[in-house]
Amino acid sequence: MLFSLRELVQWLGFAQFEIFIHVSSLLVFSVLVALKVDGVAHGLSWWNVFIPLFAADGLSTYFTTIVTVRLFQEDKRQAVLRLFWILTILSLKFVFEMLLCQKLVGNTKELWYGLILSPLFILLQLLMIRACRVN
Amino acid sequence: MRMSLAQRVLLTWLFCLLFLIMLVLKLDEKAPWNWFIIFIPIWIFDTILLVMLIVKMAGRCKSGYDPRNGAQNMKKKSWYLTAMLLKLAFCLALCARLEQFANMYLCFVFIPLWALLIGGLTELGINVFGASRD
Repeated sequence: MLFSLRELVQWLGFAQFEIFIHVSSLLVFSVLVALKVDGVAHGLSWWNVFIPLFAADGLSTYFTTIVTVRLFQEDKRQAVLRLFWILTILSLKFVFEMLLCQKLVGNTKELWYGLILSPLFILLQLLMIRACRVN
Repeated sequence: MRMSLAQRVLLTWLFCLLFLIMLVLKLDEKAPWNWFIIFIPIWIFDTILLVMLIVKMAGRCKSGYDPRNGAQNMKKKSWYLTAMLLKLAFCLALCARLEQFANMYLCFVFIPLWALLIGGLTELGINVFGASRD
């Protein structure tokens, strides 16, 4: 639409397969959120609802490790740069998910939404910087 | 006229940032605004995308346009238009639900999003698995 798949891969640094995993996890997560909020699945805790997102992060890390090991034999610098970039993105996403889940589970008054969304703000700035480099 | 990648990224970044700031203000109860107001950056962004898409599609109708290889392109554009409308429908339904204008199940609110995600996954899947088979 606004970006072609090639541009997205270039900008985000994720492989197409990783994007596929993250979109699938978002779909499953949205279904579980709907079930939880509508009261259809009573036994479902918020931690269970967030499992698809955590699983996607885990799978993506595993995939990145494999790609890095293979890439390391050809181009060490690129392999290390890719590993750092993907791990930064994934850890920021993971921190955001953890904080949001904690907020939804417990009555953590000190956890305000500005703090919960701060990883996303950092992520946005990083993506902007990367876009300048890619361009 | 085609925007460069940097311009498109800047546009997306700006509206995402504005939306996130307004969302934080609303969730932390610093701004007692309506949810439809919080979503203003999304409405503006969607309108820009829709106008760009419609202008591109309308470009086919002008005289001198070469229709060869255009059917596939038009099909893609139609899917993009449908996706945009689905996203718009989801945001509108979500706002209506959050403002309690419509007391409906969240499942109904999520139907446009699910359709959009399934469509996106299908396109992505064709790219990922179709390409690897070749």
